[in-house]
Amino acid sequence: MHEQFVLKKDHLLPLLRRLAREHRLVAPVRNGYGDTMYTVVTDVDACRLDLERQPQNSLKPFFFPQRERLCSYTVDRQGEEGMAYRFYPDLPEERATVYFGVRSCDMFGVMYCDLVFLQGEHRDIFYQRRREKALFLTLACNRPFTDCFCHNTRTGPALELGFDLQLHDLGDRFYVETGKPGGVSLTAHWSPFFAPAGDDDRQAQFQNVLEARSLFQRQVHVDLAVRLLARHEPEEVFGRLSRRCQDCGGCAFICPTCTCFNIVDQPLDQGRGERLRTWDACTFAGFTRMAGDHNPVDLAAARIKKRFLHKLKHDVAKHGRPSCVGCGRCVGMCFGGVDMASFVALLCEWDGGKEGWR
Amino acid sequence: MRGDGRHPQAGVVRGTNPYLPLPARIHKVVEENALVKSFVLELEDPLAAQAFTYQPGQFVMVSVPHCGEAPISFASPPHQANGFTLTVRKAGRLTGAMHGLRPGDTVGIRGPYGRPFPMHALQGRDLLFVAGGIGLAPLRSVILSVLAHRADYGRIIVLYGCRTPGDICFRADLAVWQEIEGVEVGCTVDKGDAGWQGKVGLVTSLLDTVVFAPERTTALVCGPEIMIKVVLERLEGMGVAPADLLTTLERHMKCGIGLCGHCHCSDKLVCADGPVFSLAELGGIASGCL
Repeated sequence: MHEQFVLKKDHLLPLLRRLAREHRLVAPVRNGYGDTMYTVVTDVDACRLDLERQPQNSLKPFFFPQRERLCSYTVDRQGEEGMAYRFYPDLPEERATVYFGVRSCDMFGVMYCDLVFLQGEHRDIFYQRRREKALFLTLACNRPFTDCFCHNTRTGPALELGFDLQLHDLGDRFYVETGKPGGVSLTAHWSPFFAPAGDDDRQAQFQNVLEARSLFQRQVHVDLAVRLLARHEPEEVFGRLSRRCQDCGGCAFICPTCTCFNIVDQPLDQGRGERLRTWDACTFAGFTRMAGDHNPVDLAAARIKKRFLHKLKHDVAKHGRPSCVGCGRCVGMCFGGVDMASFVALLCEWDGGKEGWR
Repeated sequence: MRGDGRHPQAGVVRGTNPYLPLPARIHKVVEENALVKSFVLELEDPLAAQAFTYQPGQFVMVSVPHCGEAPISFASPPHQANGFTLTVRKAGRLTGAMHGLRPGDTVGIRGPYGRPFPMHALQGRDLLFVAGGIGLAPLRSVILSVLAHRADYGRIIVLYGCRTPGDICFRADLAVWQEIEGVEVGCTVDKGDAGWQGKVGLVTSLLDTVVFAPERTTALVCGPEIMIKVVLERLEGMGVAPADLLTTLERHMKCGIGLCGHCHCSDKLVCADGPVFSLAELGGIASGCL
């Protein structure tokens, strides 16, 4: 049963203070450099919550850190029988965490990562342990940011599913919808904070969402691109973009749905070491290189092709929707313009004038 | 680290942590040629060793100290007593270090992973094995399984090509197989040497010398990617249906369990959807995977 409440803005910090006592709290915070990031909040009153700007990171690093230890190992070459090699597990602790102020696109990013890490034959236990006790208090966007195109990927500006609570900013108050059971319990447990919503609140929320939808500055024709890629894989488009790719991996690292990773051994000394998992990017030249230097995807154009086909074709086949959540972060990240918006624009342009296209 | 009170593979996480390798001891090392060694391994934990089963075409992720992990196919048949065999060509850092290991030394093992050869569907069929170099290793697992249940299968043809006589692996097996009735073995090298008295030419040249009924035949092809491509193309042209043309692909892999994304190729993950694929599943020769 979905319920609607009103939370007065004056009551937000007191609520967060209470939540932070029993949970780890993650929220968008503006740091000393002026950057807004989803951050672990240790003291609600000592940080600067920022619900006005888009966090630069997504929630991905909280569930799938850029670098983490999978296990450690020892190597003992002194034994009678021969070299002994042992592995020691190293799992992250499970911590109940409230993610507050999560944007719709970032909630979708988490839902996509769930598909990859939790829905296959083998579950990723590291991801699972971080994910299990998470509560999501999302914030619908009243006004899209410059690079956003979640209306094109149907991942925002407001959510219909996935959240525990969804907040809508109505000026002096938040309109609060319950979603998953965690949100229902939270409003029940902290009921003094939540007053039942009235018709005027419902009306205002509805207006907000309608208005937000009309304010997008970008049109990124993701659906059209998906249809075009089902029929063509235009090498000219991949070639043109690949000449501008600097192979930095920024697009993959910033992307809420890019989950490729590398595993490397880090020796600590002769006799012991750690096995680390780090983010990887399919645009890196060595991503598919095998022993003996054979590389099945050895050209920059082939790597760019792999990247965009994965997001807009293969994931559509596998999961029923493209794995772009329209957050626009790659647009801001890539100084070569090898981002989703540019790719879709180029593809549509190519389709519009195949013969004369250069 | 040994003194800090943690126990290796503590019970709580065993079986649920797919990234944790199990130690496996090397029982025997066989030098196939200058660059290829076969390692006979057994898991150290006797219960794990007893529970360990696999199918031809599957692989394990092998850990070598300080070198990380690499996917290696089984070269032994599942019924082999005393552990399993991995045949490894010295090609990079990990395989180079592995070549330095001796009986008694330990490696780490995760798996088995991947989709095996469809052994049940092969029953009653004529089987044409085409291998190049170290590519005979995964096919050896199939061939020895088939020979153990000889009556369940039709004719068996093994065609094997190597760059030079010095690259030939499993010489003893090849010698045994060609003595078996109903088994035909052909061997060729790209470039002979003074001692070589066999055929010279690409493995495809052997396809001209064998007679088989395309409609009754399933082909199993493994070798360098270019060889796989050429052989599959030839066999398709000779009338073998794409669904009966099987191959096993090699890709850079980090996890082996469908998560890390490295072996993604077209809409497939080689580790989880393969490594065994039919040409029909790959979508033909022109698909992105070959």
